[in-house]
Amino acid sequence: MTTSELTLSQGAGRTRRSRGRGGAGKQLHAGPVTYVVLTVFALVSLAPLVWTAIAASRTSHRLDETPPPLWFGGNLFRNLQSAWDQAGLGTAMFNSVIVAGTITVSTVLFSTLAGFAFAKLRFRFSGLLLLLTIGTMMIPPQLAVVPLYLWMSDLGWSNQLQTVILPSLVTAFGTFFMRQYLVQALPAELIEAARVDGASSVRIVWHVVFPAARPAMAVLGLLTFVFAWNDFLWPIIALNQQNPTVQVALNSLGTGYVPDQAVIMAGALLGTLPLLLAFVLFGKQIVGGIMQGAIKG
Amino acid sequence: MRTSIRRSQRLMALAAVAALTTGLLAGCAKDSDDDASDGSGGGNGSGKGKITLTIGTFGVFGYKQAGLYDEYMKLHPDISIKENVTTRTDVYWPKVLTRLQAGSGTDDIEAIEIGNITEAVQTQADKFVDLGKEVDKSQWLDWKNAQATTKDGKLIGLGTDIGPMAVCYRKDLFQQAGLPTDRTELAQMWKGDWSKYVDVGKQYMKKAPKGTKFVDSASSVYNAAVGGASERYYDKDGNVVWDRSAGVKKAWDAAMTVATSDMSAKLKQFDPTWDQGFANGTFASVACPAWMIGYIEQKSGDSGKGKWDVAAAPAASNWGGSFLGVPTATRHQKEAVALAKWLTAPEQQAKVFAKQASFPSTPSVYTKLKPQADTTAYFSGAPLTQIFSDSAKTIPSQPLGAKDKPIDNAISDVGILQVEQKGKSPAQGWDAARNEIKDVLGQ
Amino acid sequence: MTRPKQALAHSASSAEAAPGTPPGAARGARGRGTPAGAVSWRSRLYRWDMKASPYAFVSPFFVLFAAFTLVPLLYTAWYSLHHVQLSALDHQTWAGLDNYRNLWSSDFFWNALRNTLTIGVISTVPQLLAALGLAHLLNYRLRGSTVWRVVMLTPYATSVAAATLVFTLLYSWDGGMVNWLLHFLGFGPVNWRESDWGSQFAVSSIVIWRWTGYNALIYLAAMQAIPTDLYESAAIDGANRWQQFRHVTVPQLRPTILFTVVVSTIGATQLFGEPLLFGGVSGSKGGSEHQYQTLGLYMYDQGWIIGNLGKASAIAWSMFLILLVIAAINLLLTRRLRKSR
Repeated sequence: MTTSELTLSQGAGRTRRSRGRGGAGKQLHAGPVTYVVLTVFALVSLAPLVWTAIAASRTSHRLDETPPPLWFGGNLFRNLQSAWDQAGLGTAMFNSVIVAGTITVSTVLFSTLAGFAFAKLRFRFSGLLLLLTIGTMMIPPQLAVVPLYLWMSDLGWSNQLQTVILPSLVTAFGTFFMRQYLVQALPAELIEAARVDGASSVRIVWHVVFPAARPAMAVLGLLTFVFAWNDFLWPIIALNQQNPTVQVALNSLGTGYVPDQAVIMAGALLGTLPLLLAFVLFGKQIVGGIMQGAIKG
Repeated sequence: MRTSIRRSQRLMALAAVAALTTGLLAGCAKDSDDDASDGSGGGNGSGKGKITLTIGTFGVFGYKQAGLYDEYMKLHPDISIKENVTTRTDVYWPKVLTRLQAGSGTDDIEAIEIGNITEAVQTQADKFVDLGKEVDKSQWLDWKNAQATTKDGKLIGLGTDIGPMAVCYRKDLFQQAGLPTDRTELAQMWKGDWSKYVDVGKQYMKKAPKGTKFVDSASSVYNAAVGGASERYYDKDGNVVWDRSAGVKKAWDAAMTVATSDMSAKLKQFDPTWDQGFANGTFASVACPAWMIGYIEQKSGDSGKGKWDVAAAPAASNWGGSFLGVPTATRHQKEAVALAKWLTAPEQQAKVFAKQASFPSTPSVYTKLKPQADTTAYFSGAPLTQIFSDSAKTIPSQPLGAKDKPIDNAISDVGILQVEQKGKSPAQGWDAARNEIKDVLGQ
Repeated sequence: MTRPKQALAHSASSAEAAPGTPPGAARGARGRGTPAGAVSWRSRLYRWDMKASPYAFVSPFFVLFAAFTLVPLLYTAWYSLHHVQLSALDHQTWAGLDNYRNLWSSDFFWNALRNTLTIGVISTVPQLLAALGLAHLLNYRLRGSTVWRVVMLTPYATSVAAATLVFTLLYSWDGGMVNWLLHFLGFGPVNWRESDWGSQFAVSSIVIWRWTGYNALIYLAAMQAIPTDLYESAAIDGANRWQQFRHVTVPQLRPTILFTVVVSTIGATQLFGEPLLFGGVSGSKGGSEHQYQTLGLYMYDQGWIIGNLGKASAIAWSMFLILLVIAAINLLLTRRLRKSR
């Protein structure tokens, strides 16, 4: 009852219920207030990205004037073109898809496996290992790039894509996340039932854990992909522009004593667009989790 | 239903495995490509004996824009040049340091900014080729060479541009404030001391046009003043003397007058708001090194055309500039040295000046420099070349230290900023800078 | 496959541990085999599977994790015990606890710790609450639900540099939109970057903007797994929507809420990107009086700008120690609370 928004959507819920659909929260249609609140959130969320696009459609000089431009100008395609060419975004996009894609698949897969083991299986040192995993998240990683580079260099891998792929193949974040999710979402009885049926652990993972974990896997995939795509510090240290990811390539924009802000913004926009595509792809998977349950239930 | 879900699951898994393996394979496959073609990978893989030279910069050099790479590649068909840019200097230098010490991954030529040159000289000298034997050192200004020379006389970097100082001012605003607008007259008014420039500011503020200030910020005055001191943060023997240095004290006092007297627009340089200040004409003057000319022209835009002018600075001083060094780890030392030599040669420096007003560190071309006609017109026909070369020739040799840049930041962005924007007293600002510098030096 | 069986089992999973202790850690697997009859190869295989599979499941994670995350981190621990500069990695002299003692007596360190705490609180608390509410709304049956979800995550995907530019303009002292609004409301302009609380507020607002949708999505995923009939039985008991949210949704989300609290706390401690870019030139100082210099930023300043790798590493590990202390206090408190109940 604290916020009017909750009270109101509650009212909306009641009217829906009378139509005979089950009483659970997730089945309810959203009321108009929900849409209003979501729209406000959406506008705030989108504003900087939209402004990036506006800035990318202007001239650099126009951006310095006050008030800043609030609507699109006519230079968008010219700026996008020059950002694309100057930064060599073709190769960079290709590389970034490989890097972020590999990291995402690996993180989601291994995090789900480890998260499942931590959440539902009993083994020696499991508590200790979990604490170690969470504990290492507490140490900021920025300085570790120095020893990491020295090591990668010893392996002879400077400027090569695996230097940015390997260190991100798994994250403590992902494992902790999946563990917390599965603790709640995966009833022990379900596993037990499968065991009684004589299912092996691999079968259980395949037929019980993965389906149950699907929404979380989708979210983890989404977050990981964005993280890998936008990761900045280590790729810049480890790569150069002869074999760059998108973030590394974008660094070649804005050179000279007077950086062209409009082209920089165009580059930022180009670097973000593929992510929106990935969003839609993964976002559907979160829906998929619900739909599946709904159909069968 | 069930089977279709299973199938989609299996498809997903297949796709995942495929992605993982191709990713790792592609990562490794790139490898072998690189070994063949990349400069750091070495070898003349592409068959025709073509050598790829990479040059690592933080983006301000303008060689590409001035067409120098293309020109060199035309002169040397067996050479191909690639530039690796890291625009954030606070990432660029740690990156170079790490790579130098790792002994791999460095570019064939690395740019070194003036703020890092002493650290490079003191700690990385063995990682750079001694260029002293390769070039005629007398081409460069003595103080420029001195900055890149180790104690035992090794030259680790060739001078690129320098930043001789002038004062850029808005004629229209000066006139409205009842000040002279003639550049020689103004130069005469403040000749000899930046505090005289500040005095002109006091005069300006008496009749300042509404909404304008005399100068963009107190730290720009400090920066200009301290850049011409014969000694600032370190003495010749490498001792930290910033709090005893007469040059720092004088510059600080001038900045304090600015900070406490309402003549500053209180902007932070290179902020978006600073850019807006140029566009809106909210300050009437700024201490401008040569490379800032293009910046002002761009940021002020059409609204400032013909209104800006340039006068000689109160005292010669330098802000910025860089060097090109050749790491010993390069596989193409001979070619890299030749390219670095060529890029920093007087004729090439003159070409870069023509393109973006980066001022050469080689005095022999000072008489031949030609700024772009547009730029000269933009600054009311000011004799840019003459003003900046006069300044360049009289800049004193100033000993630098390994932590010069952080100390400078501590004074500007902590000490002065506190007084200017937070209303602290100059004494409090000085103490804050002192504490900051202690922290910088790890004391 | 998932839903019906989960519904059967929901009563078990609804009984959760108290916050603070890792929920479910004590429960482990129920499916510890029930070997039927004689020891056949099948049951032996089965037992072997039971024993080995957990290790098989965690080992890919730990092998990769140890090699590429843990070892470099341990290196920084080594650095923290040495005098070592970024420019001279080979010249390490043993420092013992010098770097830590230096921090202990440094005003900058304590100031950064204070800032980290205040910025952490004013950014994390509203952010998580808003995320929970947002997830709740997103969990309704929405028209174009994918679009809404995607939109909420755009701040996380937007280029940080572009976003900071927008916020810098919004918060600029002279002519920024926020001050312009304040002016309309009859307030004087605020120097958002240099004032003490103003700058912390501004930095927090960027953090909140950037991470709310991120956390909302994490909550949303967990909400997908709450069995429908929990709500049904609650409704039969006469619980209204708010009570359902409080007594069904929130308890069910407890492990995930714990997760976001832990991750956000860690994130707040290590915060440095947003304030660094917000600060512009010399952003690593976090303002002229370090008024919004967080521990993460102080570490960045020491390590990357000043190049004092030993001291920077000591800051990094101090952050670890501080978080350990917080975790320990938290554990003690929850134990005490549970006993007193």
